[in-house]
Amino acid sequence: MTSRPRRTAAIAVTAAAVSIATFAACAPSAPTEGGGGGAAVTDATLTIATTTDVVNYNPFVGNSRSDYWITNLMYPHLLSIGPDGEKAPELAEKWGYVDDTTGYYEIRSGMKWSDGTPLTAKDVAYSLNAVKRDKPAGTLTGQLTNFESATAVSDTRVELKLSAPDSTVVPEVGFWGNVVPQHVFEPAGSVATFANDGKDGGWVSAGPYVLTEVQRGQSYTMERVDNYPLVDGGKPKAAKVVYRVYPDVNTEILGLKNGDVDVIANALPPAQVKGLQGTQGITVEEIPGLGYAHMTYNMNKPDLAKKEVRQALAYAVDYNAIRKVVLADQAVSTGSSPIMPVLKDYHDDSIKEYEFDPEKSKQLLTDAGYKTDGSLKFRLIYSLQDPVTTQWATLVKDGAAKAGVTIELQGLERNTYLAKTDAGDFDIYAGNFAIMDDPATNMALTYLPGGVINYSYVDDPELSSLIEQARVTFERDEQKPLLQKAAKVVRDNVYDNVMYTQNLYVAHRSDWSGFVVKPSELLSIVNPISVASATKSESQ
Amino acid sequence: MTTPQAQQAEAVSVDAPPRAARLTWRRFRREPLGVAALAVLVLLVIAAIAAPLLADYPAGYGDTVLAPPSGAHWFGTDSLGLDVFAEVVWGAQQSLLVAAAASLIAIVFGTLLAVIGAYFRRVDAVISVVVDLTLSLPILPLMILVAALVGPSTMTIILVIAAFSWPEVTRVVRSQALSVVRLPYVDAARLMTGSPVWIIRRHVVPAVMPLVLVSVVLTSSRAVLSAAGLAFLGLGDPNTWSWGRILYEAQQAGAMSTAWWLPLFPSLAIFLLVLASTLLSTAYNDARNPRRNK
Repeated sequence: MTSRPRRTAAIAVTAAAVSIATFAACAPSAPTEGGGGGAAVTDATLTIATTTDVVNYNPFVGNSRSDYWITNLMYPHLLSIGPDGEKAPELAEKWGYVDDTTGYYEIRSGMKWSDGTPLTAKDVAYSLNAVKRDKPAGTLTGQLTNFESATAVSDTRVELKLSAPDSTVVPEVGFWGNVVPQHVFEPAGSVATFANDGKDGGWVSAGPYVLTEVQRGQSYTMERVDNYPLVDGGKPKAAKVVYRVYPDVNTEILGLKNGDVDVIANALPPAQVKGLQGTQGITVEEIPGLGYAHMTYNMNKPDLAKKEVRQALAYAVDYNAIRKVVLADQAVSTGSSPIMPVLKDYHDDSIKEYEFDPEKSKQLLTDAGYKTDGSLKFRLIYSLQDPVTTQWATLVKDGAAKAGVTIELQGLERNTYLAKTDAGDFDIYAGNFAIMDDPATNMALTYLPGGVINYSYVDDPELSSLIEQARVTFERDEQKPLLQKAAKVVRDNVYDNVMYTQNLYVAHRSDWSGFVVKPSELLSIVNPISVASATKSESQ
Repeated sequence: MTTPQAQQAEAVSVDAPPRAARLTWRRFRREPLGVAALAVLVLLVIAAIAAPLLADYPAGYGDTVLAPPSGAHWFGTDSLGLDVFAEVVWGAQQSLLVAAAASLIAIVFGTLLAVIGAYFRRVDAVISVVVDLTLSLPILPLMILVAALVGPSTMTIILVIAAFSWPEVTRVVRSQALSVVRLPYVDAARLMTGSPVWIIRRHVVPAVMPLVLVSVVLTSSRAVLSAAGLAFLGLGDPNTWSWGRILYEAQQAGAMSTAWWLPLFPSLAIFLLVLASTLLSTAYNDARNPRRNK
């Protein structure tokens, strides 16, 4: 139960959120420029570069980026997401609440799995109930806390029974959950252990493509599914999608420049964006951020339990330099608030960011009875697989040194990092979340005692009560002030030090166009609708 | 009957070091490659020691990101705008420290086991098996595993490298020590004292010393490579600059292909150090045993 949201989050480095494209099914509103205007190549092959192999073909336990990207092309989500975190239809056309403890989804009719079996509400109900029962280690499990069961009341309508009123279940479960074929997954037993590795006659898909050939360490080949009503014309444009595995982003960039691949799925390192924007034949797309990067201070440690110490640390970080240098100005301050500006409806711009003021830090520490000669030491952990955090961690250390605090950096291999995070084996944690789309849900996970991503171990009754109230408030106008108040409590007490929302960039060859941009590295231009809509022009 | 011989041998071994050293040095000076290698090594060591005089410690961030080499930044700047020249100079400190410390531990431990093994034949069987076993292990994956589990720090890296470098030393030194132990003067020494420690210290260790010196140089150059390899994989000490860390950060920033100066200069430093060490040890070996190569 404990590892989900963080997992996806850590995977996806940071989210992204300002898409110019409409997210609804068809018609990309921002077709990519370039293109050369030649006629579209029919039955082209779209080659996408990734840096990791698929570890798990079961979308409920998926863990690496490649897992997510490839399973996403086969197992549809009920809801999609817009650049501002608002949910949009995908498999479900309508969703909402019948009453406080009953939610519903109305799904598209006429959907089919690639083996011909119709996709009905039964598959949806099965997927949700199976995850609730088996608790696989994916993001969805965490969203199902107040979910009791799902029932298919007709072929297109699913109703969700909740154990307590919770306004976040329907949108969050709809967005995070994949729908899997009941006739394939049910005979396999537990969805927490089912490998779904295609050994029993291949995969069954209700997305635009179906996986047909796997060469570990090399490539994953996916063939077009003819019936995919979510895209214009009801049929994906490219005949094949091939994910190719590259050792790292350097080789991916070389591959793209040489024309070996058409798209790099991984977000570009901030320092590389400018160079690639000026490269002929390559188009760079901005992926709006919808998450944040942050540091949490482990309040189980006696020193960090003191508000003055946490504030001193917050004043000892040069946030502007981090955003300017490490992120090449591709990040936006959140005002130290967990409700980022991209969530326009909820963001409160009266909450201001901590400024970089080492003298003030020293003052706070001296007043709290600490020496500022470097004798106060903290250990900061971060994942080595996250290059951006790895870079700014050194700036955090340098800033703290100016305030007379020693920060010892402990960059860890990702699995060790996750294990240490889980065990609370750190003073300061640095990391990020890909998608923090719903403030009430996310604050519940982040700041309630026992919350799965409560890495500061905060337990503040005032804050908890605000979050609990927001969670059962179904009217947004009433929910908003509660959440904003909670965000201010978090900021003022430094229960979390939210540093920025990063806008990501991805690159593709200019002869491909028609991508549909969605927020976060998880969706970006490799979301199912985007991949199915992309076309290649004949000549350049 | 053996006594005069033994005494003579001892006399030689007592007087030998200064005379042999002078002779070796005279021959060594005639090896241009060896002298050049020595000069390069001395330069690197001086650069490492004098780092504070040569460049400010690279910390924080700079104004121009990924600038190519210029008058202001001889080796260009990295993705945080830091001066790569300063990083290479300060990195020399860390790289040489790891090399020296790791090889010292490996040499002391390896030599000790080698001479003990050579002298006490019964222990030798055990030591040989352990050495063979350790030599057959896949070293890099193991180093990665240990470094990843323990967490990267300078101490971890030194210990990890030392732990996997000593068997090589033991094997080389042991073969030499074995032949020394069989020499008549060691038999004679056995008659004179019952203390194996004294014999090992006085006769066996001095006899294998030249080989140990060669091993020191070779082991440290290998240690630099291992340390750089680990750092490149992100398992270096993130709190200090090392050549491997410069490479690692260039790779992380995706700048390998676009900013050639980032991988070039630290690689060049590693290359120079390893090449110089190898040439130096060869030259020294030749100077020490002139009959062998001419």
